[in-house]
Amino acid sequence: LVPVVRRHFGSGFLGRPRAPERCLFPGQVSVLYFARSAELAGLRCETLSVPREITSLQLWEEIVKVHPRLAVIRDQVIFAVRQEYVLLGDQLLVLQPGDEVAIIPPISGG
Amino acid sequence: MEESEDVPKDFVKLKCDKLSVDEVSELVVSPCCGAVSLFIGTTRNNFEGKKVIHLEYEAYTSMAETEIKKICRNARQKWPSVKHIAVHHRLGVVPITEASVIIAVSSPHRVESLEAVMYCINTLKTSVPIWKKEIYEDEYSWKENKECFWANSEK
Repeated sequence: LVPVVRRHFGSGFLGRPRAPERCLFPGQVSVLYFARSAELAGLRCETLSVPREITSLQLWEEIVKVHPRLAVIRDQVIFAVRQEYVLLGDQLLVLQPGDEVAIIPPISGG
Repeated sequence: MEESEDVPKDFVKLKCDKLSVDEVSELVVSPCCGAVSLFIGTTRNNFEGKKVIHLEYEAYTSMAETEIKKICRNARQKWPSVKHIAVHHRLGVVPITEASVIIAVSSPHRVESLEAVMYCINTLKTSVPIWKKEIYEDEYSWKENKECFWANSEK
């Protein structure tokens, strides 16, 4: 793992003070974008620092602050957190450093 | 092949190369099975009067493989006599008339494999993180399966 923050999202995000000797900030997750969400965000993956505990809706809102163009698909996406689907809403997520969070637009396989 | 090696297997593959019906059906053939049932999803050249040039597929690959394996496990619970299941899905560009997905199931008698194949493709469309983009002459469109419960079908 590269000990560099690819993106830094400002004071609203960091839930805990950083320990200077650690390579990864606490609560740094990988966000993956697919299909239309990747087109709107302009990228396919990035790292994001988030509080360890956050609702799925709050997580969406933090991502939209960084990529406002994603707002248009809010009603059509869900998350996959550690490869389990999560609706946008009140569900409390407990995120670990290195967790994968994927934006999942409506699927069309098969 | 030793009969003791013929344990039930799931063969799941996402690949960019052209899919092969022969390859997928041979994966599931078994001496104890009298039936192999197949579904092939092929690309159509039209949608709502627009000419489709080709399709492009992308996937959350690791999760898609996991979800397809879950579908295989559930199919075996529903149809315990099913022997082997193979699901191959193509990614990247898929030209018109070529296969985007092939599903093959073997079972001793035909009813179980026919029903299990239908279950596999129907469930794949509800839960596997794969996305299809239809490319037309002047534009493109990300498709949404009607089975997808988080799609906003009323726009």
